[in-house]
Amino acid sequence: MRRALLAITGLAASTTALVVFKGSPGTSQVAQNLPTAQPVNPTPQDVEPSADPSGVAPKPSVTADAPTSPKPTKSTARPSGTRTTTKAAPRTTTKAPQSTTRRVTGNGFDNEYGYVQVQIVVSGNRIVEAVALSLPSGGESDIHSGDVRDSYDGRGGEVVQKQNANLNTVSGATETSNSYKQSLRSAIEQAF
Amino acid sequence: MRATLTRPGLCRVEQIMGTAITLDLADDLPPATLRELADDVFAWMREVDARFSTYKPDSEVCRFDRGEVLLSEASADLRYVLETCADLWGATDGFFDAYATGRLDPSGFVKGWAAQVASDRLVAAGAVNHCVNAGGDVRVRGLSPSGEPWRIGIRHPWDAMAACLVLSGTDLAVATSGVYERGRHVLDPRRGAPASGLRSVTVVGTDLGLADAYATAALAMGTPGLNWLARLDDHTHAVITDNARQYHSVDLPLTD
Repeated sequence: MRRALLAITGLAASTTALVVFKGSPGTSQVAQNLPTAQPVNPTPQDVEPSADPSGVAPKPSVTADAPTSPKPTKSTARPSGTRTTTKAAPRTTTKAPQSTTRRVTGNGFDNEYGYVQVQIVVSGNRIVEAVALSLPSGGESDIHSGDVRDSYDGRGGEVVQKQNANLNTVSGATETSNSYKQSLRSAIEQAF
Repeated sequence: MRATLTRPGLCRVEQIMGTAITLDLADDLPPATLRELADDVFAWMREVDARFSTYKPDSEVCRFDRGEVLLSEASADLRYVLETCADLWGATDGFFDAYATGRLDPSGFVKGWAAQVASDRLVAAGAVNHCVNAGGDVRVRGLSPSGEPWRIGIRHPWDAMAACLVLSGTDLAVATSGVYERGRHVLDPRRGAPASGLRSVTVVGTDLGLADAYATAALAMGTPGLNWLARLDDHTHAVITDNARQYHSVDLPLTD
């Protein structure tokens, strides 16, 4: 359970990092155009026609926040009562004098793994943070992480290690990001 | 993914094929040229998605599967993909099976192949330093924006924020198949049941379509996939088992 959550939180956090990075001043030009529609998704047609809007739960909401300094957002309220805590990625560039900070919550989407809802923090016309309010947990990967914990006993090959080196890119199994994308997009559409 | 303010090139992300496609162009070309190159890459990926998606009933793959398109009427790309999938079925002892789910689904080859074609086209267009990452399948060429060989992390199967191995190179296709993102979605085509034993398989070569298919096949084999990978010519591999052991080829292009 924790593992699945971590995995998906990772996707969320990396998107957060991406958005933060993209939003920082002076980066690539695509990034700067973000609010005007260029990057994250210049392809409206890739919304699957089958995307079922009936999965939408809470109404989108826009809330004004205290000026500047957005607080790290926490947690979620999945209707069923599952509680999820999302760690915000370290923010490097939040200073935006003169602009007010808004939080915009995207529609929620159900997928086969659970319920996904994303909130963005907008400063001026810049997205400074994207936070997953709700992400799926549970599922089959849980079962296996249990097995794994039981067999962390040092037979066979070396135990898998963690490395946090500087990376250009990461190879991994395909992420199931559709619901995250849909929710993120609906937040962006409301914000701009 | 941290860039300096002065890095050359362009980095763009789009959501296509239900996943994130990241293009990092590291050549110091005029902005208009870079934009055009990126536009072409993403237009191609969207075209592949429209034609090969198994989620779009009007895709060529779905129409072919329903018998609405004959092989002789199929596009050159679809025929190429079908032929290659048939070859891969043989080369993997039947473990790469585009019909494993009972209907045609060449996705295990298509995503890597599409990114490979995009990368080949970039090279032909003179953008020889780039990285294409299609939902975790990575093709790098030349040098990164820092002027060093590209550094490619292999995702830690139990920690999405960490890498478990780091590869480095100037001409690598790196494909990873794992069961941590979508659960046990890879079927052992012989038993029709989910494969088990391996958590994550990474195959490194120079053709991303093949690397992707080999990684999927080895994952489907389960534990015996390790020995199969060790016999695979012209490719190196890294495997993480369900019990969190890692195995890799001696000549895997590892770095610190």
